Amino acid sequence: MAAYLRYLSTRAVLWLVTMFISATVVFIVPHLVPGNPLSSVFSRLAAVGGSLNARELIEQYTKMFGLDRPLWQQYLSFLAQLARGNLGYSISSFPSHVSDVVLPSIPWTIGLLSVTTIFSWVLGSVIGAVVGWSGGRSPLFQALVPVALVLYTVPYYIVALILVFLFAFRWQIFPLSGAYSVGLRPELSLTFALDVLHHATLPALSIIVVSLGWWFLSMRSLITTQKGEDYILLAEATGLPDRHILWRYAFRNALLPQATGLALSLGHIVGGAIITEVIFSYPGLGWVIYNAIKSLDFPVIQGSVLLLVVAVATTNFIIDLAYPLIDPRIRQAGRE
Amino acid sequence: MLLRNRKFLLGASIILAMVIVGIVGTLLTQPELRRTGSFPVRLPPGPGGLLGTDALGRSVAIQLSEAILQSLQVGLIAATLGTFLGALIGFVSGYFGKAVDAILRTLTDVFLSVPSLLFLILIASLVKGVGVQAVAIIIGAFAWASPARQSRAQVLSLKERTFVKLSRLSGMSSLEIIFVELMPNMLQWLGANFVNAFLAAVLAEAGLSLLGLGPQREMTLGMMIYWALSYGAILQNLWWWWLVPVLTLMCLFLALYLVHLGLDEVSNPRLAARG
Repeated sequence: MAAYLRYLSTRAVLWLVTMFISATVVFIVPHLVPGNPLSSVFSRLAAVGGSLNARELIEQYTKMFGLDRPLWQQYLSFLAQLARGNLGYSISSFPSHVSDVVLPSIPWTIGLLSVTTIFSWVLGSVIGAVVGWSGGRSPLFQALVPVALVLYTVPYYIVALILVFLFAFRWQIFPLSGAYSVGLRPELSLTFALDVLHHATLPALSIIVVSLGWWFLSMRSLITTQKGEDYILLAEATGLPDRHILWRYAFRNALLPQATGLALSLGHIVGGAIITEVIFSYPGLGWVIYNAIKSLDFPVIQGSVLLLVVAVATTNFIIDLAYPLIDPRIRQAGRE
Repeated sequence: MLLRNRKFLLGASIILAMVIVGIVGTLLTQPELRRTGSFPVRLPPGPGGLLGTDALGRSVAIQLSEAILQSLQVGLIAATLGTFLGALIGFVSGYFGKAVDAILRTLTDVFLSVPSLLFLILIASLVKGVGVQAVAIIIGAFAWASPARQSRAQVLSLKERTFVKLSRLSGMSSLEIIFVELMPNMLQWLGANFVNAFLAAVLAEAGLSLLGLGPQREMTLGMMIYWALSYGAILQNLWWWWLVPVLTLMCLFLALYLVHLGLDEVSNPRLAARG
């Protein structure tokens, strides 16, 4: 238990450090642009003719983030505001807070990403294990590898574009955009749930299709290397059934690096999903960021970026917490 | 060795073909043909119209030749910067160890786990409207984490080899050892890393462009898709407008990946033997 706690505390520290450093980068970046961090945004906003409440907004901001004070004090108050969950005001819809703009989009992003990521990870791993175990004897299995390679090199949004063209424009099986039909009110009913599913199919498919390729390839090569190990040979020699050796022995050992892979590529997945959301006008955080970019709403961009960073770091932390469940070595480290 | 690797050859020739198309296409077109309205609008591809024209009366083929070169330029600049920074950080971290290593390693871990696209979005939205080179430099500045982690691991294993120990005993300075003894041993490996960073940079540029943060006044493959989408090319059934840059990007990614695999196999012969 002591070993587990020690492992836990180092992971927790890394989690906090990640969020702290990211918040610092988010704070420093606007200061690298010459002039007042907000002035460049406001001047451009004025050029577009959208700065109705600009003066009031600047005053609020100056007060809240202490822009007239020295940099280190600004930094401290920035962190203090963040710790309280205050992300500042939105520029394009001024009296409302950034959190009011951002929060409604979070469930859509989390819903889309968690379902697709888990689904493709599990499915890719299982297919990869079966194909890797069989050694690619059947021609169907051999054909899977180049297909997966091509899919893996293609970014999500390109698959998304092709899916939109084929299934939404050409054949009109699925809707072009949005998360639910116009005129439908979000509620807990079967009609609404089905409508959401119908809208989510294409965005989900574009994420699944691409990431499936990678999980398949990595599990396949992991199983192939496991096959040569002594413990597998021993298991075979004792006459255990083939299926038992694959799922109880080889697969469980290959799951460890596969889980590490999931943690490592999480950032990549989130980055790709942001743009996929834009293509489908899916009302998640990516769509919020896209609209904020169009309306030059820097605080909203900043807030969304911070939220996504926290989400990625936290998910990584959760994967770390689950790690001892699949790796007894971490549970029992230090016992010898 | 490298020239006999099939994957490397195939990938490299695809990239070379793209470069040639880009250079020839750019050289052959008069500058005034790039303006909007130089051609009839919405011309489908065919013998007369080459790759067709977009809704603004620009030739897709001319845009493509310019975009290929610019996208490759983004990859080149960003990958050079990212690999160099990463190798430097990894070297310092691996070679000096102790506190320096602890700090740099934590930083690397953080930047590896956080999606760099987010930071890119943040910066690009502040300096919106910059050119291709500036976008490339911003991308490169956030592309160091993965080469840093890997070069650190390489240095750690090289550091303990006899020839490095020998040169330390013979009185070479740390910098001398890094550049004279360690660097040459890692060049081929750095090459594979460079190609990886190149791929990631082109990907990041396309992503930023699709979000409306690309080089607005210039043409890249990402910007081509961005313009096509913002004029509703899919709904207007102008498939050639968006499909041409999309297919080109796919080809480029595949070619880069093949080059990467080839370099990997050559610098790591055990991989090639495994098939």
